[in-house]
Order: sequence, then structure tokens, then C-alpha cells
Amino acid sequence: MMLDTLGVGLLGTRTAVFNKALKYSQLFTSRERSSVWGQSDIILPPHYAAFVNGIAVHSMDFDDTWHPATHPSGAVLPALLALVETLPSQPSGLDLLLAFNVGIEVQGRLMRFSKEAYNIPERYQFWKYFQLWMKEGETNHGPLCPFRFHPPSVVGVMGSAAASAKLLRLSPEQCIHALAIAASSAGAPLANAATQTKPLHIGNAARRGLEAARLAQIGLKGNPAILDLDRGLGVYYKDYSPSAMADSAVRAYKWILEDQDVAFKRIPTHLGMHWVVDAALAAREKLQNAVGKFDLSQIRHVTLRVPPSKYVNCPLPATEHQARHSFQFNACTALLDNKVTVASFGDAQIGRSAMKELLGKVSLETPEDNLPSFDKMYCEVEIATHQGPSYTARCDTFYGHWRKPLTLKHLVEKFSVNASSVLCTEGVERVIDVIGNIERVADCSILGSYLRMTRNQERLDRMRIL
Amino acid sequence: MQLGRTRCLSECRILLLPPEFQRSSRDLLKQPAPEDTVTASFGKFISEIKPQHLSPVVLHRSKRMVLDSIGVGLIGSTTDVFELALQHCQNMYAPGDTSSVYGHRGIRLSPILAAFVNGVATHSMDFDDTWHPATHPSGAVLPAVLALSDMMPANNKPSGLDFLLAFNVGIEIQGRLLRFSNEAHNIPKRFHPPSVVGTMGSAAACACLLSLDPIQSSHALAIAASLAGAPMANAATQSKPLHIGNASRLGLEAALLASRGLEASPLVLDAVAGVAGFSAFYEDYVPQPLQSPGNDSHMFLLEEQDIGFKRFPAHLGMHWVADAAASVHKVLVGVGPGTVSPAQVEDILLRVPKSKYINRPFPESEHEARHSFQFNACTALLDGEVTVQSFTPAAMSRPDLHALLSRVRLEHPNDNPANFNRMYGEVQLTLVGGDTVKGRCNTFYGHWRNPLSNDSLRKKFRSNAEVALPSEKVERLIEVVEDLDQLRDCRNLLSQLQ
Repeated sequence: MMLDTLGVGLLGTRTAVFNKALKYSQLFTSRERSSVWGQSDIILPPHYAAFVNGIAVHSMDFDDTWHPATHPSGAVLPALLALVETLPSQPSGLDLLLAFNVGIEVQGRLMRFSKEAYNIPERYQFWKYFQLWMKEGETNHGPLCPFRFHPPSVVGVMGSAAASAKLLRLSPEQCIHALAIAASSAGAPLANAATQTKPLHIGNAARRGLEAARLAQIGLKGNPAILDLDRGLGVYYKDYSPSAMADSAVRAYKWILEDQDVAFKRIPTHLGMHWVVDAALAAREKLQNAVGKFDLSQIRHVTLRVPPSKYVNCPLPATEHQARHSFQFNACTALLDNKVTVASFGDAQIGRSAMKELLGKVSLETPEDNLPSFDKMYCEVEIATHQGPSYTARCDTFYGHWRKPLTLKHLVEKFSVNASSVLCTEGVERVIDVIGNIERVADCSILGSYLRMTRNQERLDRMRIL
Repeated sequence: MQLGRTRCLSECRILLLPPEFQRSSRDLLKQPAPEDTVTASFGKFISEIKPQHLSPVVLHRSKRMVLDSIGVGLIGSTTDVFELALQHCQNMYAPGDTSSVYGHRGIRLSPILAAFVNGVATHSMDFDDTWHPATHPSGAVLPAVLALSDMMPANNKPSGLDFLLAFNVGIEIQGRLLRFSNEAHNIPKRFHPPSVVGTMGSAAACACLLSLDPIQSSHALAIAASLAGAPMANAATQSKPLHIGNASRLGLEAALLASRGLEASPLVLDAVAGVAGFSAFYEDYVPQPLQSPGNDSHMFLLEEQDIGFKRFPAHLGMHWVADAAASVHKVLVGVGPGTVSPAQVEDILLRVPKSKYINRPFPESEHEARHSFQFNACTALLDGEVTVQSFTPAAMSRPDLHALLSRVRLEHPNDNPANFNRMYGEVQLTLVGGDTVKGRCNTFYGHWRNPLSNDSLRKKFRSNAEVALPSEKVERLIEVVEDLDQLRDCRNLLSQLQ
């Protein structure tokens, strides 16, 4: 998870949203300084380093996804790495790894406090609310929005606070207050997903969790029952029933990550797109095998059978952010190019006439048995041709999902491709080496310096040698 | 573009569903044109409102708010939580030289951090203004506008009128947003209102001062929405003041990010079925567009609905029971030995609205005490009033007070709603021997129905400000704020704050 996060973060430092956040963050200076990934000569106050690096991680929607749904690593790793560079105590790689896992574990635990958390944001559950209406008569549940807050903005900041508190070695009481303070920084509405601001949800989670831990460290107090109360963390959920953690003093502690792995993305899009892409590629292959040659003009109509989720149902995306959250766009890219990559989301790709033409032939269906859950959903793509026959393919589990994890080789490959766009070869290799052997690293602050070994520097070094 | 089977299915659903659902699914099928959205109307308003749209009533009331807010901020700059916030900023960041910190000469911070600490100061003692529907409007806006004014180049400082306009925009936006839901009209249960609307108000005020165009202004609001919202559980703790501090700073941040071109949802204020925007913070949500002023005047909400100023530093609800208890005290003192003794008292019954977070029988910290019907009633019974001093450790630990506290019961009559416009406070004392003395307060002095006189307001300001500033500066501040709309350059205001 750490390797993948660093890779997508490095790639993300070349995005427009990252640049805007970086320019803004350079208003601030401090004595403590932390590295900005992929920038050889810019350093920022730790909170703002956490902010911009977190934004980089989520800037292309390329970061890891868990079940129940959130993007766990981007909220935690940037905060920890920023903190590591400021601590006089020089934490070891194992300290970092432990704090990281605390941040992930806390997020997983909190998400299990609510059934609402198990589903991806839905359009409506018409029938569920109809039943509720029948049962309760006049409800004061307003607009039918079962899912209101972007999950990383709720649990991510808590994870960041927990991880930072761990690395800072706060007392149990201080840790509680770190969580309480962080809760007051949680919660961003879903409407900003699929916009340029979405990456800030992760950036802010990282930064404000770190801030909460530091405020707790100097003695600020919040409500010690923050996780217990409906008017505490419960405000972010419609159903909320917390349960206490088992005593971790027991030797063998069962981490959620052992039972439930994360998914790594192969393309920089919302996770749901991975199913539709794999199905579209398979359907395309069927057509090609049957007819001998794939030709766009053969396509009369394309039907996508997907789970109901309004914010990834975008028939005609206009921006890269919308395109990353569009079943239709990703299916069409797969059909047009026989692949979907990082490069598929540029303005030229979005605006090409072939894309617009094909998008016009796409319709969505939301079958009853297709549940809006990353654990249960599927995608089916049916290509209807002018000649008559239809070619259908279905994807239940895409490659990279926790049921079908990426091999280590492919994970490292993804990292190398991403990181090489920003770092020199030596930097890429050193990061792989450090993360691979993190338990044995004595002082993990060196990671920050490797993340600054950019390609420009290498060119300069080469020139000097000559 | 073909909707094909999807439209067919949706139409079938329309026939089978109750009316309120049908409305929503029809909304799904048609997207509003960009110019017609609520969000765009807010952006347009912020960008197009002008100083001449401020009526005399609005000018007068908002200047009172500015004065009171500075005063409570100044006294608030002497609290522990302020010290902590300041220390945090100084630890985390290099000294800035831009924006002043209330009452601390020689300390300046970068604008965002100054807005933060000054906002914390303003709410640190729960002494700041309250509006209806419930929020603390000024503390979220003023620190940001002050900090931003300090940031503007020396040859382009806002005039007093520009300053007042931005301030009033910040207040107006909060008021408009609060009217989007019925939930907002009652004492809050889930999200602390300043953390929800305060952030938006600060963003609006800063967008106005920065002269952002309509689209940038609406993006400022949308970015701010992702920074809004803190749970009620942290009210009555030491973290509560940070809700205002953060509202102020994050709203400013949102405006600055928008000025650099960051974009967010263009529908954040609109009710979009299935995707929550600002509606995420409310159970019921019906947004209304804001009319652009054009050449006519604009009816600011402040003109229709005035602000409540507090006479002592506690949650607004405490003011009713304190006034009721004070009248009981007066009766007892009139007939008895001149003080109220617990030995005389058999039972104390408080009839108050039902609200968990201000029902605390035995508060343990000053923060809890400021949010305790019981504590404020008993203090007023003992002393005849509640003051800044009532929340010191010495005052809080008095045995007489504890004896009275143990005799208190609460009742929540059906006709006493948790609503600052309609609630009342009643104190019924049963004396040893059987006699009862009753006091009731429907409208405390300082409430918008019974506003503080200008004299009372200045008296409160002086008593607060003199804790942090020398009296010449205090008097000059009163003058400067009084004439704020005539001021050519708001530096005269900014230089008096520390």
C-alpha cells in the first residue's frame, strides 16, 4: 500500500490541482520543513506538505480502495512522512509501518460502525425509502440522499490523527483527544466528488489529522466520548452503532487488513470503472474474434449493466474529473482504444469526435441484482451490431480487486511507471528498496530525500560528469 | 443522446411512487441551466453587491456586531484555549508579519493563522453574538475579513465601507443558508451551526473583499463546503472555540484557493437528488436562489432579524434562566438577610427546553459550566447575576453553589421549544417551610426582541477590551467602529487591535 501510494502521489505532482495547492501552500513558512514529493527544492511546513502530497495521491483517483469504501492510504501516509521529517527522535522504518497500520486499522474499525458505510454512494434506493415512508408515514428525511459525505473525509482524518498520535507517542488520553479534535475536521459533502476539489478531501484529511494530533500533544481537549455519541462521529452517518476495540495488549492482535485486503487500481478512475473496462475489453475481443476485425461502424448500440450510483453515471463528461467518474466514458475508451491508461483522460481524448459519437450510442441499465457495493457489484457490456448479433461480456472481479490481487511484479511495475515520470532511475530504485525492506530501515526520514530525486536533477548530474 | 431504456424505467417508477418521490425523479431527468442554479445565484450576489446596497439599519446593526465581536475577541485573547491555539500556530509556522492578533502587540501571523486564533479568541468564552436561526455569525467572519485586510497591499487597503460590505455579505450568506432547512430553526443536535454556515459566510465575505467574479465566488462557496461541519459533541469542551476559528480560517482559505482558479461543484448549494452537497449537513433541505441586487436595494436579513448580544459569557439559553433566577434572588434578598442561603432552599425547579448539551447538573470545567442551565440558574440565585467572574475556578468551587446545584430538578414543558425565538426560562424555588417563589423570563435583555442599548453595548465592550488593551486604544476603537462607514482606509481600525 505504501509503495502504490508513493507512486500515484509522485505521478499526481504533475497535475493542475496539485500545482494550485502548492502555490497556495507556499504562502506559509515554518522552522520545521517537510519534503514535497517530486519537487527537489521545495519544502513546506509539515501540515502543508501533508496537504499537497495528499492531494497528489488522490489527484487522479489512482489510489487504493478498501471495503467498506474509502481511500485509506492517502489520508495517512503523507501525514506520517511529513511528521517523520520533523521528529528529533528519528523514527525507524518499523515505527513508520506500525503507525501507518494504526491509521488504516482505525479507519476500518470506524467504517464498521455503520451499515451505510458498506454501500458505495447510491442514486436512490427507491423501494427501501418507499417502505420506510409506508412504515413511518411523514418522514422528515429530506431529499433522498442516502450517502452524504465522501468517506475519506470522514474516516480519513481520524486515521491520520490516530497514525500521527501513534508516531508522536501520545498517551492514551492524548490519543483520545486527538480523535475528538479530528472529528471536528471531518466530513466533506459528496457533491465535490468528480470535481477538481475532490483530491483536497484526502489532502485535508491528512493535514487536519496531523494537526489534531499536534494540538492534542500540547494539551487541547475535546469530547472524550466522541466515538460513542450520536452527536459525535455519529453525525456523519444515518445509522451508527460503535463498538469498543479488543484489548491490544493481547499478543496476537487481529488487524482488519488481514481479513480484508485493499484493491489497487490499474487505471486512474473511480473503482467501479475497472469492472466496466474489463467487461468492455472482453466484449470487444469477442466481437473481434467473431468478425475478424474490430470496426467502430459495426456498433449499433452499447448497453452497460451497472450498479445504481448517480455520481459515476455521467453520459457526457466535460472534464477529466468527470471522465474518471463515468461508466460510459470508460467503457467507450476501452472499446475505442482497446485499453485505458493514464493518458486516456486528457482534453483531446475526452473531446474527440469518435468518443462523442460512441457515447451517443450508450445506455445504462441498473439490474436489481447489481448491488452498489465494491464487494458485490458486477458490470456487463453488451455490444449490439448493425449486422445483427450481440456480443456480451461480464466482469465480476477485475484484476487488482482484493479477490484477485495484483501480483507483486505488476504492483512494482505500476509504481515504476508512475514514479519514473517524476523521479530519476536511482530515486525510483531506492524507494522500492526502502519500502521493500522497511522493517529493517533504521531512520525512515531518508525516504523524504529519495522522493525528491527528480529527473531534472539527474540530467544536471549527467551534465556535470561530462 | 439516448436515454433509452433508462428513461422508460424511471417513468414507470414515477407512476408507482408517492408524490414527493415523483418530484425528485423528474428533477433527475432535467438538469438546471448553469445560470439558473442556486449556487450560481449566490456567486452572483457576492460578486455584484455594492456598498450603496447597505441600508442605514444594516450599517448600524453590523457596526454594533463588529464592536461587540472585537471586544469579546480581546477578552478571549487572555484565555487558555487561545494560548494553546497561538502556541500551536507559532510552533507549526514561522512568524508571519502580516496580520495582527487580538490584544498581543508584537505578534503577527500569516492571515490564515491570524483568522484562526482570533476566531478561537472570539468564541473562547461563548460570549459572542447569536442569531436566529441559531449560529454565532460574527466570529466566523470578522477575523477573516480583518486578516485579509491586513494582507492587502498598502496602497490598496479596503475602505471602511468595503470592509463593512464584506462583513455584511458574510453575515447575509449565513442567514440565507440557515433558512434552507427547518432543522436549522431549533437548537442544534448534530452539527454545530457555526462550523457549517460560518465557514460558508467567511468564504463569501473574503470572496467579496477579494472582488472575485461570480464564478470564482461560487467556487469559493463550494470549496468551503468541503471544509464545513463539526459535530455537536465537541460543544461544551475546550475544542468548541476552534469551530469558529476554523470556520474563519477555512473560509478565507477557500476564497484564496478559488482566486487561484481551484474549481469545485457548481451545484453545491442546489438539491441534487442522490448526490449530497451542502445538503449533507441537514435532514431537510430546500434551497432558494438569492436575488441579485441590480440597481435597487437589497433587503439584508439583518434588517428583518436583529442579533442577540450576550451579557455574560455562556450559551444563549442560559440568559433566560439567569434572568429568571435573578428576579427570584431579588425577591428573597428583599425579604431576607440580604443573601440567599442554601439552608433556606428545599428545591429548585427549572422549566426549560429540552436540550441534552446544555443540561449539566454538575459541570466540571468552565466550558461545561457555560453550557449548564443548572449552573447558571444557581449562580444567579446566589449572586443576583452571572458575570465573567462566575466561571473562574474559585467561583465554580463554592460550597454554597454546590449545595444549590444538588437541589435542582429540570422540567421540559411542551410549550417550551428548543428554539431561541420562542423559548422561555422559569425558576421555581421551594423554600424550607413550603413557600414558593417563581421567576420567569420570556425575553432576556440583550435578546433581539429587547436589544442592548448602545450604552450597554459600549459598557460591555469597555469591560472586555480593557482586559487586553490600554484605555486610549479602547476609546479609539469605539470611535473608529462608530464611523467605520466613513473611514477612507481601514488601517485605522487594524492598528488598534493590538
